[in-house]
Amino acid sequence: MMSSVPAADKKSKLMVYTIEECPACGQKTKRAFAVGDYVTKDGAKCTKCANQTRVALVYAENTKPSG
Amino acid sequence: MSIISAALQVPGLDTTTLISLVWIGFIVITFFYQTRLQSYLALNDISRGLNKLKVMKDKARKDAIDYLVNVGKASADPTQKVDQFLDYVTIMPVDIDPAGLVGKIDHVVTTNNDRVRAEVAQLLPQNNPVTVSISENLLEVATSLNQIHKIVRHFYLLGKKTNSYFTLIQLQMLMPMIIQEADALLNAVDSFKMGQPVGDGIGPVVVSRYMAGKEKRIVAKDTVMAVTEYKGRKLYVLKADGPMAYVGQPGVAMKNIVEEMGVKPSAIIMIDAALKLEGEKTGEIAEGVGAAIGGIGVEKFQIEEVATKNKVPVYAVLVKQSILEAITVMRKEIAEASDKVSQVVNRLIEEKTKEGDEVVVAGIGNTLGVAQ
Repeated sequence: MMSSVPAADKKSKLMVYTIEECPACGQKTKRAFAVGDYVTKDGAKCTKCANQTRVALVYAENTKPSG
Repeated sequence: MSIISAALQVPGLDTTTLISLVWIGFIVITFFYQTRLQSYLALNDISRGLNKLKVMKDKARKDAIDYLVNVGKASADPTQKVDQFLDYVTIMPVDIDPAGLVGKIDHVVTTNNDRVRAEVAQLLPQNNPVTVSISENLLEVATSLNQIHKIVRHFYLLGKKTNSYFTLIQLQMLMPMIIQEADALLNAVDSFKMGQPVGDGIGPVVVSRYMAGKEKRIVAKDTVMAVTEYKGRKLYVLKADGPMAYVGQPGVAMKNIVEEMGVKPSAIIMIDAALKLEGEKTGEIAEGVGAAIGGIGVEKFQIEEVATKNKVPVYAVLVKQSILEAITVMRKEIAEASDKVSQVVNRLIEEKTKEGDEVVVAGIGNTLGVAQ
């Protein structure tokens, strides 16, 4: 079920990302959305302070079409 | 060319006269057959749109079945059940005596929602609430597309049968908007299947921050509340229970908070997505007063009732977006507006209430992919 490939909308070339935020130091990490992600879900350990991060946002943004 | 040459052999008929005759013939034909010609063009146009709608509704139906089978692990083939859902009708109560009408609508809609959820849950042996809620939403999309197709087909065939020029022209003019709305619904399917937050979920995203780490309790069906503090004010924060694709019952929740829990709010702050007008930017924030909530009006009525009865001012914070953006995966512009919305909410709390006051903050919208 877990997918590391960003979900893409074929028409508008939308890529979906998950933003993980460290509640302690505020560091934000952007990665591709994986099925099962949701806002407030526990994320990976913070690379800066090793605290538990949380998913702060899930959003889509337009990317330039390749070719 | 031979006809023209032959015509020019007629005595007294020169090129100029022939062109004039052709023009006169054209004007006469146009005068008598203009509407028939336009009806023919409209029929072709509508027919093309109708084919598009058929493809869309078939795709939505197939996607719903595939989701039930592949993700929901349906115990039996759900095709027949899905087809039943597509034609399922909700009969609205009679409105010739409007007294108590909202209660009746609420009863009918709640009965319908409960029935759909129970039947979907029956199909899915795992009974995972997220999967069940997504299935409900997928079926809702498929049902809406099926209804749109049926209604357009009805007027197309009626216009064709009765040769009604005005029916066909009206339908032809509406077709681009109908297709746009159907397209938005179809695009929503992908977001729902992936469990991604949709643009309408901006209210829940904002209030989930106030609820983080706080104890939650159920205050109405599919609706959770947490109590927190902000600069000496006690906040009662509520949203639909996520990360399921629920909208909850914020009207009932507010009634329970005020009337059953005895909370005396100095203000109710509602955060919701609002449809933008063409030309407005996605993610723009608008402030206002009044109950910021869509739907058929039941929840709005309940919130207005509670607010009016207890003389509580209701403030609205709206995030602008199109219908497509509201029901498909949340766009960056909308997500990034969440920080600004939090600042606006905090400012409203500081400006409109004083220390020791109680405030209700409600995040309105579909909470798919947004827990608390």
